[in-house]
Formats: sequence, C-alpha cells, structure tokens
Amino acid sequence: MPDEVPIAETINAIPVAPAVSPYPEPTQDRHRRDALALTIGAAAWFLPGLGHAFLKMWGRALVCFSTVLLLVILGAGMRGNIFSRNGEDAFAKLGYVADLGAGSFYFVAKALEPAGPDVSHANGDYGTRLLATAGVLNMLAALHAYEVARARKA
Amino acid sequence: MMPPHEFKLTHFQAMVIFALVISIAFGFLSRRGAYKRAKYIFWSFILFLLIGVGIGWAMYPFSH
Repeated sequence: MPDEVPIAETINAIPVAPAVSPYPEPTQDRHRRDALALTIGAAAWFLPGLGHAFLKMWGRALVCFSTVLLLVILGAGMRGNIFSRNGEDAFAKLGYVADLGAGSFYFVAKALEPAGPDVSHANGDYGTRLLATAGVLNMLAALHAYEVARARKA
Repeated sequence: MMPPHEFKLTHFQAMVIFALVISIAFGFLSRRGAYKRAKYIFWSFILFLLIGVGIGWAMYPFSH
C-alpha cells in the first residue's frame, strides 16, 4: 500500500471547512469583547432596550422597551402580585426572579401599584402573569443582546 | 371606583393583549426584515390564540 493516498480518492474531492479559523482572534481582543458583551447584557437587563440601543439596533430596542413597559403597566394596573425577596415558598421565589428580570421596571411596577396587589379576583391573577412575562421577556432580550455583542447571533 | 390607572380585563382580552405583545417582541428579536417579521408576528399571534382557545375547550369538561 502506498504511503501517500491521493486526496481525491479519500474524501471524494469535497472541500471541507476547517474546524478552527486560520486567523484566531487575539486573546486580549476576545476578553475585551466578552467584557463589552457582559456590560451590554447587564445594561439590557437594567433598562429594557438599552442593550440593543448600544448595538444600534433601534427597532429591537424600541420594541423591547415598549413591550416590557406595556406589560408592566398592564400588570400593575390589574393589581398583579409583585413578588418580594422574602418569598415563603419556591413559587414565590421563582416569581421574584421572574419579576426581577424586568430590571428597573420592577420598581416602576411597585410605584404604579400603591394600593398593593389584589389577587382575590381573576384580574389580579392575570396581572401577576403579565408582570412575570415582562421580566422573562426582558431577560430573553438581554440574553439576545449579549449574544449579538459576542457575535454569535445576527 | 377604580383608580385611573387600574384596568379590568376579561380573560380573553388579557390573552389577546398577551399574545399580541409577545408575538411582536418575538418577531422583532428572532427575524430580520419587515416581511419576515410581519409573517412571524401574524402566525405567532394566530397560533397563540388558537392554542389558548383550544386548551380552554379541552379543559371545559373538567370544570363541570
């Protein structure tokens, strides 16, 4: 058997992309980009839409800001439950994490609800869901902004 | 009397608003270009409503 087998016979001459880029990014640049991505992700969490605004994605920034704000206004207006840190059970703790996902809008929701929650009616229960949705949606948007900043997503 | 910023919505109204807002947000986050976004938003909204109403119908016998 010959030592050198022609390439065309072994892989049917199909070009295969290299697994690793031939031009690896310098470590320092990668660390800087990761730090910037983390900052953008944190900004996107703190103020909905801010992360996308930093990335000059104006449409997404506007939609993130307005949808999270609308859900918070509706949820608080329906007197939904805004969970606090001192949750008694696992659901309350999970609800707190979801509500906190709205970033600074968590405090906006508290300010919009001076009379406190009223979940004795179905309306308040729907409001609780809308507030949690606002938080989870903002977390998703923040993750998206982070991924875009890391150049993993378009 | 309700405060000026307090809302009273029926279950269906809350579901429609939820479906619309989430569809718009998902459409803008996951698609690029006006046409693709509009198509995604439309189908997502319709499916949210259909599945919501479908689950409501499926649960109806258990409430009686």
